[in-house]
Amino acid sequence: MLAVFAALVVVFGVVARGDAGLVQAGTYVAIFALAAIGLSVLLGNVNQISVGQAGFFGIGAYAVGYLTVDQGWSFWLAAPIGVALAALVGIALGFVALRFRGHYLAMATLAFGLITVGIFHAAPALGRASGITDIPYAQLGALTLSGYPMYWFAWFVAFLAALATTALLRGRTGRAFEAIRNDELAAEAMGVPTRRAKIAAFAYSGALAALGGALFASFLGLVNPDAVGVALSVDFLLMVVLGGSGLVSGALVGAALIGFANVVGHQYDNWREVVYGVLVIAFVVFAPRGILGALRAQLGRRRRHIADTGDAGATAASADAAVAVLHAPSAEPVAVAGLTKRFGGLVALDDVTFALEAGTLTSVIGPNGAGKTTLFNVICGIGRPSAGSVTIGGADVTGARPHRIAALGVGRTFQGARLFDEMTVLENVVAGMPRLAGPVARERANAIVARLQLGGVRDVLAKDLAFGDRRRVELARAVASEPWLLLADEPAAGLNEAERLRLHADLRALRDAGATILLIEHDVRLVMAISERVIVLNFGRVIADGAPERVRNDPVVIAAYLGTAS
Amino acid sequence: MLQLLIAGLTVGSEYALIALGIHIVLRATRVVNFAQGEFAIVGGLIAFSCVDALHFSVWIGLIAATLGGAALGLAFEALVLRPAGRGGESGATIATIGAVFVLLYGHALVPGWGSEGHLLDSFGGNNLVVPVPPLINQFKGLGPQVTIVNPQSLWVLGLLLVALAGLYVFFERSYYGKAIRAAADNPLGARLVGIDVRSARSISVALGIALAAYGGTIIGPITLVGGAAGLTLTIKAFVAAVLGGLDSPIGCVAGGLIVGVLEVFATLTVGNDAADPLVYTLLLVMLLVRPQGLFGRRDAVRD
Repeated sequence: MLAVFAALVVVFGVVARGDAGLVQAGTYVAIFALAAIGLSVLLGNVNQISVGQAGFFGIGAYAVGYLTVDQGWSFWLAAPIGVALAALVGIALGFVALRFRGHYLAMATLAFGLITVGIFHAAPALGRASGITDIPYAQLGALTLSGYPMYWFAWFVAFLAALATTALLRGRTGRAFEAIRNDELAAEAMGVPTRRAKIAAFAYSGALAALGGALFASFLGLVNPDAVGVALSVDFLLMVVLGGSGLVSGALVGAALIGFANVVGHQYDNWREVVYGVLVIAFVVFAPRGILGALRAQLGRRRRHIADTGDAGATAASADAAVAVLHAPSAEPVAVAGLTKRFGGLVALDDVTFALEAGTLTSVIGPNGAGKTTLFNVICGIGRPSAGSVTIGGADVTGARPHRIAALGVGRTFQGARLFDEMTVLENVVAGMPRLAGPVARERANAIVARLQLGGVRDVLAKDLAFGDRRRVELARAVASEPWLLLADEPAAGLNEAERLRLHADLRALRDAGATILLIEHDVRLVMAISERVIVLNFGRVIADGAPERVRNDPVVIAAYLGTAS
Repeated sequence: MLQLLIAGLTVGSEYALIALGIHIVLRATRVVNFAQGEFAIVGGLIAFSCVDALHFSVWIGLIAATLGGAALGLAFEALVLRPAGRGGESGATIATIGAVFVLLYGHALVPGWGSEGHLLDSFGGNNLVVPVPPLINQFKGLGPQVTIVNPQSLWVLGLLLVALAGLYVFFERSYYGKAIRAAADNPLGARLVGIDVRSARSISVALGIALAAYGGTIIGPITLVGGAAGLTLTIKAFVAAVLGGLDSPIGCVAGGLIVGVLEVFATLTVGNDAADPLVYTLLLVMLLVRPQGLFGRRDAVRD
């Protein structure tokens, strides 16, 4: 798609050579495309809405204006400084974004955009309302980057950014973004450092916008607060929504459409913006993935069909290597001591202490609300314990972030299976290995999918899966990174008898391969059959802990389950 | 001093009404409506046309603006919020930003409105000369002996109270108001007890937009109606709502009044250009430090 677009840019450049107006329009498209690509990453790939993109654009433009005019610096020094400054501001805004999403974030970014414009307006050094004028053209050796040369230079920069962004999205970072977009909590539990990824996305997006702004100031020769106001932020949003958010070429298409609509429609002021507004609403309602998104969905359907028929038996060969497990780094894979978790007045966990032995399968049972899932969450780092400690592989990880704990070799499945719904089964399993390079991860994912007999649904989107398959895909994703400790939260709930047996066979195989498993399960019969040890929780306390036969006959356990006073 | 306070409370009243509208729409649809301020602008313009072109009294204008706002709200819910809501919160939020463009640039196309501001007729009365209480005067030394109060300020504050009283009666005392609250808090449960959740949603949005139009009208004789200030109004009202607590109606009103007063004093101390950025910075600080607002509950913020 990028190649097609590059060809269009070259053809346009050659055809428009003599027409200064067209060349100028084409140059603006490249400049705006930079900011749109950045916003597209933020909105489409990480699902972070921003109505302040013009603020970053303004930072780049004003940096070039101020440093070249007032300080007499070269463009080549001023532009990188503007980009770096925007990246820093992006990091700061990213921290705000860590705490908020949706409309809170939209408002916060709108405020950010208004604050930057307000500063441009108020600062005497930046020329207040009239802005900075007489910004010199950039010099490339003897060549002055104005008019026609600037067209080619701007597009050169835009394509560098497009290629860099494509590479970024194809790699590990892109997979992390995709996982975050689908389900942030599950992504974190798979070992994706979601905070860092989100902050990085804001910094990257802001830096690209500032790059566009730097070119803008140098090309136009002036910058003022009105040029980088909220209307421009909305323009960027429109470009991304129109072209297809999350797609680099979508941002290019959106920038091209809006860029030329601005030129063609410049005498229809007001009407033009009304049409833009209607288009935004129409695209959100009828084509939320934009022009290119809709196009790709069509192409993708055809391609997937071909893949289905061609590629079926190719991966069976490496199947046996799949469910290998790294051995526990210490004899004591996980130990909790005095673990307590309070939510307001409610005590969900009350002084829980136990240590698991390596290579065993331990089940946690207990009535609803006994604190089983809270126990898992606290072990995984989701929510800090109110008191007590968690030790994994001999290291104290109390209060560590979930992705750090996952990185130690801890896999986890969720009650109700939190899959990445917009991804295929194979992509889900690949997402379970955020630290592996793409090709390696894909090869291993193929093997695991084959091993767990999920080959038939390999390319099905997770949201279209049957319930039983969802469970098994989640298990496949959790074991993909070869965890030596697996926390499985009711993996068998809602499964039929045959699926249940298969699941437990899989768990047993994993245990036999050396993994330590902690399992939450309601089916007491199955628990007794497969566990070496059973821990019973009630009202957040451990009321029994030991071999299955002993626990089964424990009067306290029987009382808790039958509901009589103990 | 007293004059500034009253001026602050006056603009604050508009923020309060828009913030209340944001709150009501948010509760019903789970979307923050970025176009809320634009509806205040359009409401003021409707009143202006009633007075300027049709030669009705300003009171008829206020009623027309409020009803017009409600009608626009119904259309807005049916054409924008409901269809876009299926695309999740991000999609719906972006759609309301699209509506900002439609209203902002669309109203400039209406004959007689244009993109500039217009002065709305006063609601009546002459400037009031209020003597400053002697005690205060003593402490202040050489302050002025009297304060001149624009009667419209009193109208604004009075009409704010009227609106609040009306809302209170509607939501707390009437069956429909309770049904709407139930539908917003628990749509499934409300449906099960026989409440028409869809029309409750429509009515909520209509009410929220009507409040904005009402607010935009009563302030018209002081701050002009029309112009491009809609998004600024939205965000200031949002600052107000976040300050007071987005989930608390009382918080929205209190927040609006506080933001109004802060703004007036900030304008006086740091100048016009820097006052607005200061107010927006307050939003970022509030979001980071106390996102539930002064009157809100902690659990209302996270998902």
